[in-house]
Amino acid sequence: MTNPRIKNLIAALLKGDCPESVAQSRKLIEGGAAPEEIVVGGVEAAMTALDSKCTLEQFNLLEIMLAGRAVTEVMKDLFPDGEKLPSVKGKILVASLEGDIHDLGKNILKMVLTGKGYAVVDCGKDCPLEKLIDTAGMEQPAAVAVSGLITPVIPLVRQVRPQLGQRGLARVKVLAGGAALKQSSAAQLNVDYVAESAFDILHYLDGSMEAQR
Amino acid sequence: MNSLERIVETLNFSRPDRVPVIAQVFGHAASVAGVPLNEYVRDGQLLARCQLEALSRYGYDAVFSMMDASVEAEAAGCELTYREGQYPAVSRHALAAGGDWDALEVPDPGSAGRMPEMLKALQLMRRELDGEVLVVGCVMGPFTLAAQLLGMEALLFLSVDDPAGLEQLLGYATAVVTRFGREQIAAGAHLPIVFDPASSPAVIPPDFFRAQVLPFLSRVFGDFKAAGAAANWLHVAGPAAPVLPDFTDAGVDIANFDYYINADEAARLLPRVCLNGNIKSVAFVEAGAGEIGQKAGALLEAFDSRGGFMLSSGCEIPPESRPENVAALVRAARAGS
Repeated sequence: MTNPRIKNLIAALLKGDCPESVAQSRKLIEGGAAPEEIVVGGVEAAMTALDSKCTLEQFNLLEIMLAGRAVTEVMKDLFPDGEKLPSVKGKILVASLEGDIHDLGKNILKMVLTGKGYAVVDCGKDCPLEKLIDTAGMEQPAAVAVSGLITPVIPLVRQVRPQLGQRGLARVKVLAGGAALKQSSAAQLNVDYVAESAFDILHYLDGSMEAQR
Repeated sequence: MNSLERIVETLNFSRPDRVPVIAQVFGHAASVAGVPLNEYVRDGQLLARCQLEALSRYGYDAVFSMMDASVEAEAAGCELTYREGQYPAVSRHALAAGGDWDALEVPDPGSAGRMPEMLKALQLMRRELDGEVLVVGCVMGPFTLAAQLLGMEALLFLSVDDPAGLEQLLGYATAVVTRFGREQIAAGAHLPIVFDPASSPAVIPPDFFRAQVLPFLSRVFGDFKAAGAAANWLHVAGPAAPVLPDFTDAGVDIANFDYYINADEAARLLPRVCLNGNIKSVAFVEAGAGEIGQKAGALLEAFDSRGGFMLSSGCEIPPESRPENVAALVRAARAGS
């Protein structure tokens, strides 16, 4: 994307300014840009810039959620009625497991991954393990990411990988994050990776996809 | 020297007989008593009994009338989901963005939801332990309560879309919290600890905390002191280092710091504020007693010359924690004397 106007879109997305983001996206369309170009050059570029800002010391949900809301509005405007999104890097299942009715962390992850070109299947909060595994069987994702705010879900998290294995889905990566889960190691949770933030998951997935090419 | 005297000495940066140990044991008291958690969080008498039994078992220096994080939210109209073996959590928020918040009523702690049961627990524990052990009440911070009333995502968007609405909601949440806290002090709490996980820099930027949240926390702490609180105690979860120095302006006397912040950094950021922390909560579930003892020993050593320290976890000791790990924490404090 060489259109200089894309910078205006990126700036609006990073400010979390929904009306301005949609307006800039529409100007780009009027100028002849393809929706796919706007996603790659604008939306994904904005998420990359946000990623580099969000270090451990300077990570906060407010900024990410505001940008995420603007990204969501632009995507809806570009692809109304759930039209197929472009350049899907891979499919990821996200869930908060049964007993955990908090879903903010999961929703943040969904926004970040969607903004960076992943197709996200949301199994929701309070998701029974059986439903997660069944959905994995149907969707054949590259990874399953579980978010947990409370410690009682830890025993369930430990079961995800063996249950995927029993369904012939051992290749599916299992990722964990959230305030309770990130206090444990990957070995303790029996997962492939424990993330400090949604962007950590993104980096892991990008690296994993790159390695498979 | 009894527990209360030990804590007062520590607050004054004097030298008590040993470092106080504040195990943040809430629902774990029910677990070790064999009481279902969903009964513990609804019955003040049961809560007091479990807390006293846990105190007797472990021998730490404070008891807590803390049911869960949703007592004020429920009293103010949120619906909660209660499940066996778990703390209740908000399943329907009391408020919606764009609603009319002019006529919101501040719940009466004498009758609203489970507030009276928490007050009953405080009365019972204070009567039993008067003058010997610190009796701690608990309220949520105004920003955390506002997040429960409206939903976290909606609250964060409100802060940008309607700053006046945010101010109004935080004013209401402050009124709920201060009224409840004052009643806790009247019922026998030496002080209410203020839990404010939603104010963590993991959630909101430090500048936002200073401009939008801190003034309301200051109001809460000023009110508690006026009502007779022995000290003001604040817990902000996670990587709170950027906002720790601001605690002094809010009138905080004790700051609970989480495992993200190391002991030296916490001491540097709050040189004259009593600190408590910071062993990882999950370690009490997953680690062994040896590891807890080792971490506790390192903390005691780090604060040895400074003083003003109470050995503790960085956040709650989870209900399902291994009892030998809580015992190891207490043992370390006693051995360090």
